[in-house]
Amino acid sequence: MEITADIHLTRNAGFILDVDITVRPRGITALYGPSGSGKSTLLRLLAGLERGTDKDRIRITSENTVWQDETTFVPPEKRGIGFVFQQQQLFPHLTVQGNLHFALNRQHTQNDLDADQVYEWLHLMPLMGKEIYQLSGGEAQRVAIARVLLNGAKCILLDEPLGSIDTASRSRILPYLDRLHRNLQIPMVYVTHSYEEITYLADYLFVLDEGKIKSKGSLLELSSTLELNSVEGESAAAVIQCTVAKHDLTYHLSELDFEGATIFVNAENYRVDESLRVRIPARDVSIATTQPDNSSILNVLEVEVVSFEENPGPSVLVRLRRNKQFILARITKKSLNILNLQRGQKVYAQIKSVALLMENTGE
Amino acid sequence: MIDPDLVSLTITLKLAGVTTFILFLVGTPLAWWLARTRHTAGFLIEPLVALPIVLPPTVLGFYLLILFSPSSGFGKLWTSITGSTLAFTFEGLVIGSVIYSLPFYVQPLQVAFEGVKQDLLDAAATLGAGPLDRFINIVAPLCRRGFVVAGTLAFAHTVGEFGIVLMIGGNIPGETRVLSIALFNHVETLQYGRAHLMAAGLLVFSFVLLLAVYTLNRQRPGQSKRLSIGS
Repeated sequence: MEITADIHLTRNAGFILDVDITVRPRGITALYGPSGSGKSTLLRLLAGLERGTDKDRIRITSENTVWQDETTFVPPEKRGIGFVFQQQQLFPHLTVQGNLHFALNRQHTQNDLDADQVYEWLHLMPLMGKEIYQLSGGEAQRVAIARVLLNGAKCILLDEPLGSIDTASRSRILPYLDRLHRNLQIPMVYVTHSYEEITYLADYLFVLDEGKIKSKGSLLELSSTLELNSVEGESAAAVIQCTVAKHDLTYHLSELDFEGATIFVNAENYRVDESLRVRIPARDVSIATTQPDNSSILNVLEVEVVSFEENPGPSVLVRLRRNKQFILARITKKSLNILNLQRGQKVYAQIKSVALLMENTGE
Repeated sequence: MIDPDLVSLTITLKLAGVTTFILFLVGTPLAWWLARTRHTAGFLIEPLVALPIVLPPTVLGFYLLILFSPSSGFGKLWTSITGSTLAFTFEGLVIGSVIYSLPFYVQPLQVAFEGVKQDLLDAAATLGAGPLDRFINIVAPLCRRGFVVAGTLAFAHTVGEFGIVLMIGGNIPGETRVLSIALFNHVETLQYGRAHLMAAGLLVFSFVLLLAVYTLNRQRPGQSKRLSIGS
């Protein structure tokens, strides 16, 4: 399901949401921005949970159906979408099973998703008979996600689904979302202010600020830009795309091909030639002007310096290019001066850690 | 021959039962509308619904009597349809009781409805549940205790009616003589034994009902917010 929205909405407090977006029919489209940037409002408008006033100009269409314009308003129950709330919103008078049956009895479409398969993916079997108040935040969110999947939604909208969950449970639920992303063809719109979640899950990105779209594009394009990462501080990271070249069974490593260079990662169960997404945190990348010898670091890439970030802090973010892809390195300003780095210079990037993200499901 | 006090008891229970049923049909949508509306009319309707709490029953009864008279539009319409007048009939008592007990039904239910989070209804909507489906399967079960409290109070309050019955229903045995009127008659005729029996009966009945309501109102873990009684 593809959704397009052209919105000009004014709120009482003088806030204006002025956006024009298209949600692609595949993959995860993320709406990313600080709180108050209008991303949740945009998501609720797509769902039909908000409809603006007569003074607003709102036009939302899905494929050939108009969901909202001057004369039409399709209520949320008729849009065939699923919505995952930050606070889950499970029905407290029903058990876990009751909540899931509520969704199963009102399917938007007959989907080919097997209920038992969903229960297994999200580890729901042990929770079935429980009351809602007995669930932890992470468990409740898994039930909420299952409820939407079983409901046969043609597009899933998620409003900061990990926002109300403690950090430990969050890192446990991310792989669940990742698995859905890998196994399902259903497009998702994911609202978050967490850059980490974006790099894990997003395929396309709309960056919102003060009700406007500041930038948009694929995650691979945007993740290495300095503008996006400069505000991220310690969590700045680039995402690159690699293909599995071969498995080295002796050392239990897999070799990935990245623009003609080799990146070693811990061996995983991936097929050779499979396309993978890899996240490289900027703080784990250091720069040398000559090929380093006698280093324990396996991953050394020959790259070209593209640009630096200008800011008053002690460290600086450097954008490095290898053919068509980019990585980021966070180094101190002192190192920048000692190495005397120049734009266009050939250098060696030493990568201390890489995180495999997932199979690339984008186009 | 049947004891006239038993006849009064039957009329009272019938009146309270019919009134509560009509309030369930009329008061439920009204309470829902009041709980959810942002319309300015809500500010006017709300005090109007509460009016019977503060108004002397005789005032209400007086205006109803005028409304029921065949010279008024409503009275004329009723007479042309049913062939009889409303004043001093059981039907007239039902209309009076519905208006008189309206706040006792609507207010606790409105409070219960206001406690249902909009987000839960939004979640139900995105799962494909339309407005009626949401009301029956989400709102109603979450407000189960609100319904019980509202129904109980409306029933008990109708049982305790006096002034308005006297104004519009009078004292017709087998027709409009309810318990409170019968009690008044016994006192007037100095039949204190019967008066005691009836008064004590009503007292115990009211206490047991309220005890049940308050017991129900105690929160159990994991259940939704408590409901307030009355206003």
